[in-house]
Amino acid sequence: MSSAISVRHLTKDFRIGIRGLKLRAVDDLSLEIPRGQVYGLLGPNGCGKSTTLKIVLGLVSATAGEISILGQPFATSSARRRTGFLPEAPYFHKFLTGRELVRYCAQLSGVPADSVGPAVEDALGLAAMTEAADRPIGTYSKGMLQRIGFAQAVVHDPELVILDEPTAGVDPVGSAAIGRMIHAMRDKGKTIVLCSHLLGQVEQVCDRVAIMDRGKLVLEGAVEDVLARRDRHVMTIEAMTPAARVAAEAALEAHGAKVTAVTHPRRSLEDLFRELVTGSRDA
Amino acid sequence: MKPSLQRILWISKVTFLEAVRQRFFAFLLVLSAAMVLSSVSFRVFDFGHGELKFIADFGFGGMFFFGSVLAVVMTAQLFFSEMDNKTALTLLAKPLSRAEFLLGKFCGAWAVLAVFVVVLASLLGLVLWAREIELIALAEQSGKIPATFSAGGLAEFVLLQWLRLGVVTAIVLAISALARTFLFAVVVGSLAVVAGQLQWIAQDAVLKPTDSLLYEGFLWVSCRLIPNLQQFNIGDALVLGSAAVAPGAVAEVVLSGLFYVVAYLFLGSLIFRRREI
Repeated sequence: MSSAISVRHLTKDFRIGIRGLKLRAVDDLSLEIPRGQVYGLLGPNGCGKSTTLKIVLGLVSATAGEISILGQPFATSSARRRTGFLPEAPYFHKFLTGRELVRYCAQLSGVPADSVGPAVEDALGLAAMTEAADRPIGTYSKGMLQRIGFAQAVVHDPELVILDEPTAGVDPVGSAAIGRMIHAMRDKGKTIVLCSHLLGQVEQVCDRVAIMDRGKLVLEGAVEDVLARRDRHVMTIEAMTPAARVAAEAALEAHGAKVTAVTHPRRSLEDLFRELVTGSRDA
Repeated sequence: MKPSLQRILWISKVTFLEAVRQRFFAFLLVLSAAMVLSSVSFRVFDFGHGELKFIADFGFGGMFFFGSVLAVVMTAQLFFSEMDNKTALTLLAKPLSRAEFLLGKFCGAWAVLAVFVVVLASLLGLVLWAREIELIALAEQSGKIPATFSAGGLAEFVLLQWLRLGVVTAIVLAISALARTFLFAVVVGSLAVVAGQLQWIAQDAVLKPTDSLLYEGFLWVSCRLIPNLQQFNIGDALVLGSAAVAPGAVAEVVLSGLFYVVAYLFLGSLIFRRREI
């Protein structure tokens, strides 16, 4: 089976100013995004992540290179029907309610008329937006905007979901909710491309990552592979006394191993925050 | 219904809802309505013309001026709100072609202009009808022939004005597809309306003999590229019967208007296809 997205030698130059100075946003990028995985596209602001995704979706034209999306040579109408997209900092018509927006997007995405109702309810349920669905979007918080954006992106049950900074500006509780939605989509066999610079979240939800810098790909691989340090080990020990520690270090040294650091394990501030404010929702 | 038509319909529906919620639309509608209604108070300044003509001219003027402002500013605003707020990103990532998006915007804006024109024409019709009854009573007392107006002619005129605003909307959308900023689209769109009002000058000049082929070519292109917006202004003849309207003249104007709507929407779609969102 072909990759969900295949990018070969992609280059994008923007012309800026009257003199048409060339700004290279993406520089000879090649990527293969396999199906059925959560793929993280990482990098600092302005490194070309969003531009790459826009090229993939046909919103911006490439200067050079080849793209294929779901086996199609470019973002055809058929490929876009099987793709969902949540743009960075989504903005929707404020006068529509959440349900009206998701229905509107379902209709534009080609959901058959008799399936629109159930599809809308499923998407709202997945995004945990059912209760707030009849409120105008203008009254939504940032987290709710992201969640309704997620609902409109998945309402037509796409094979590929592209999320551009889905947790930007969202609190840790909302961010964890979006993480759960991503896992739920992966469990259904969907491919998710997640573009972010929030490394902690990417590490938690992604199977593979690619890191971009100044338009170029600098690292790509499975999360486990790229993060693991094969020459170091971590042991978590309970009820260790000073004598036990000395004995353990001596035993390890006898086998040629060397203890380089002994610290207490820490939980992350995000875990602590979520534990303390669990159940608080911005709905 | 074909999926493509359905998508255009949904885009136009949301565009219409967005436009009628704008204060700008409400402001211009109230201002124009006030102008039509106030025409009764100003009829003493009719400069020797008939009272009904004076009232009708007030209404036609409001419809033309405020309708043009609405068509230019509102259309550009509806287009650039989608671009600047990035809602177009969400929509165009769906199986929606750019031509469908542009057509949806056009239909939504044109529907709002239909509301504008019909409300103003209804008010104008009411004012003309009320004054006509008074003038008929006065004429019977004095034994003169009373001034009258044609409701059917007013309906025809409303259709022509709506079509004229449709041409302006299509031109502004084509300009917006090319423009980078809202201000540019509004300024160039306004200039296009002025050029359309003055296009008859180029038509007159074409008829005069000239030695310069370049000048002749320029006039020929101008006459075809810029629609003659004056051809829609036959309100006096249609509503008050001030002049005879040649048979088939209205149909000819309608066909010409529809041609420019289609041509400018096609041009706009071609330009918009290449635009980076």
